[in-house]
Amino acid sequence: MSRIEAFTPKGMLHKGWSAQVEDYAISCGWVLQGKAFLVGDSAGGIYSFEGKSGDVIWKKKEVHKGGLLAMSIHPEGKSFATAGQDGRVLIWDSKEGELSKVLDLGKGWAEQIKWSPNGQFLAVTLSRYVYVFCANGQEQWRSDQHPSTVSAIAWSNSNELATACYGRVTFFDVVTNKVNQKLEWQGSLVSMVLSPNGDIVVCGSQDNSVHFWRRSTNQDSEMTGYPGKPSQLAFDQSGTVLATGGSEIVTVWSFQGDGPEGTVPGRLTLHADFISSLAFSHSGMLLASAARDGSVFAWFLNNNGQGDPVGGAFVGELVSQVAWRPDDCALAAVNAKGGITVWDFKVRTKGFA
Amino acid sequence: MSTEKKVPVTILTGFLGSGKTTLLNRILSEEHGKRIAVIENEYGEVGIDQGLVINADEEVFEMSNGCICCTVRGDLIRVLGNLMKRRDKFDYVLVETTGLADPGPVAQTFFMDDEIRDEFSLDGIVTLVDAAHIDQQLGRSDESSEQVAFADVLVLNKTDLVSDESLDILESRLRDMNRMARVVRSKQADVSIDTVLNLSAFDLDQVLKRRPTFLEPEYPFEWTGVFSLERGRYELSLEEGPDPTMSLVAMEDQGINEVALNDGAESCVRLYADSAELLHPGSTVPIGKHVSLQLQSNGRKSFFLELDHATQIGLFTQHTAEEFDIKVSTVDSSITENDGKNDSMVKPATERTWVAEHEHDDEVGSIAIERVGDVDPEKLNKWLSRLLAEKGVDIFRTKGFISYAGDSRRIVFQGVHMLFTAQPDKEWGSEPRRNQLVFIGRNLDEKEMTKEFEKCLV
Repeated sequence: MSRIEAFTPKGMLHKGWSAQVEDYAISCGWVLQGKAFLVGDSAGGIYSFEGKSGDVIWKKKEVHKGGLLAMSIHPEGKSFATAGQDGRVLIWDSKEGELSKVLDLGKGWAEQIKWSPNGQFLAVTLSRYVYVFCANGQEQWRSDQHPSTVSAIAWSNSNELATACYGRVTFFDVVTNKVNQKLEWQGSLVSMVLSPNGDIVVCGSQDNSVHFWRRSTNQDSEMTGYPGKPSQLAFDQSGTVLATGGSEIVTVWSFQGDGPEGTVPGRLTLHADFISSLAFSHSGMLLASAARDGSVFAWFLNNNGQGDPVGGAFVGELVSQVAWRPDDCALAAVNAKGGITVWDFKVRTKGFA
Repeated sequence: MSTEKKVPVTILTGFLGSGKTTLLNRILSEEHGKRIAVIENEYGEVGIDQGLVINADEEVFEMSNGCICCTVRGDLIRVLGNLMKRRDKFDYVLVETTGLADPGPVAQTFFMDDEIRDEFSLDGIVTLVDAAHIDQQLGRSDESSEQVAFADVLVLNKTDLVSDESLDILESRLRDMNRMARVVRSKQADVSIDTVLNLSAFDLDQVLKRRPTFLEPEYPFEWTGVFSLERGRYELSLEEGPDPTMSLVAMEDQGINEVALNDGAESCVRLYADSAELLHPGSTVPIGKHVSLQLQSNGRKSFFLELDHATQIGLFTQHTAEEFDIKVSTVDSSITENDGKNDSMVKPATERTWVAEHEHDDEVGSIAIERVGDVDPEKLNKWLSRLLAEKGVDIFRTKGFISYAGDSRRIVFQGVHMLFTAQPDKEWGSEPRRNQLVFIGRNLDEKEMTKEFEKCLV
């Protein structure tokens, strides 16, 4: 695989701040309306950086014995939750980094964690089970045993949770304890994303394909031909286009009209290695993509899935996650060596650097 | 961008009770310098005393296309995927599978998944065999024979519970099934760590560097006995055996150490290639010639050896000494009329049993093809593609090197089921160009495959 040469931030990405955490940065996110940026690393460290300067506001070491696996920021940004190899879920206050709840799920890895859209519930996976807690830490619901380890979860609305595992996606109403829908397909589903209206369910599959279902019509389709497994999936806020990884090219499917079946996807080619993270801006059709080679690009997309690069930067290490600040005026990338880089995102007034 | 070395992974397979956990604990306690992460699929009674142990239920994921070679182990992908984020914390991974695990998906995971492939390398598959129970297990379950077939190292464990004789028989059975594997014996999984870790068994370059011909040679003879004899006349007597004749070569000045035995064996292979002279009972056995002893008549039959000086005679016989009850005795000229009876039997200075060419009784077996010359890459490719497409399910592992016509480099290749890679290796230089292929699988047709391969020769 060709290697990329280091380059300075280009286009709309401008040098902002950078920082370092101790280990592989696993998860990140903006809190307190972009005033702070949180990072969790694989050693179980969590850090809060001041949003503008990058100064450390607070940090905690080894909050999960064995390591941290996932982090989810409450929709209001005032609190967040972490999950780890110790089988525990911790709920934190964003501002001071104070621990407010400890939920012990037992032996196993707590691997996936997601707040519901209105922040009322917190869903966590522990091998073949899914637990849903209320914000106060009380258990609201618990799934039966899934046929295999739950590989992804997503909320379709405030009460309905989707779980993906080998062979199926299941929709549970966590308030009435009902199975609303079961979508079956023989394949190992490794990732899942729902369209913003909750109708389209998209899963990346171990056999290097993307499978999707339309819940309202029961119509399903499979997009094959990816060179790797499409673990990275992202819908834009309007649900018009879906960006997918699984190669060094970002493949963008458009759901306009009768698409994406029978249409040619947009192909965004600049990365030299496989895509490692994708994130759409909070408004508009801006996509940030990052790759294993340490390159980060911002793209402006059309509704048909085609797009043009509007900025690029290089961080030198596999980028584990990219995150737009809530106002979309900054982009953050965290990497496998614990490096944190934040760029200002704005139109350059003087020509390209 | 990370250019660090891939983390090696060793897979421990074997039926419940074969000693996997004992071996695991031994490795962990002896390898102080190494930081080893353990993924454990089987929670046995014996605990593992070490820090980084991850329990994971075995999850076999078949793909929607139904292709057996795409079947992977979801639990390994998940656990290794998380482990690689903490790779500064360990430098080796051991996976202890369940007794019933199919090694195919385990091995395939390291070839099929792009992320795992980038970060980890499958170092080798070590299969523990309970010497006392494997015979029954092989008869009863496919998993058991597949674990033997996939192994790079077979640890024949609990040898203290079985007689030496049954161990030899068992070892030769296992070798028939898997000719690529190294067989080591142990009582309580007390094998040297070097024999199970850092094998680079899936890195054919390494394998070939260590063992330029990794095939255990198969000889046309099964037994060698070396006798220290003075000048004189000796009787070689044999009982009736399973066959009416038996081939034999008597070698002079035969040493008794391993090197000398191997040298003798190789010279003998050439002599065995000559057509045999039929010898009737009562004849004198010539030295350094391929003879066929006629053993059709009833009763014990005698042949003679005439030595005009003291020497060590090596007898290389087609069958083992036991089968025909071969005995060497001095013939005292003064008591020759003592109706063939004498009590001056000579014990061999050393004995050696060889891996012999014979029929394979197990469904699972190995086929080795060795031919000098060049192959036509296109023809070979066609044949292999067809073979793997038709028989890939039954072909567990493939290893070897080939000489492509027109290519100055040796081509090394290896495969797991239908997955197959061929890569140019070192220059042939002055070395004679030849081809060596091993297939391990179920119900393989050796004749047919050899014939098809020969068609690919230029």
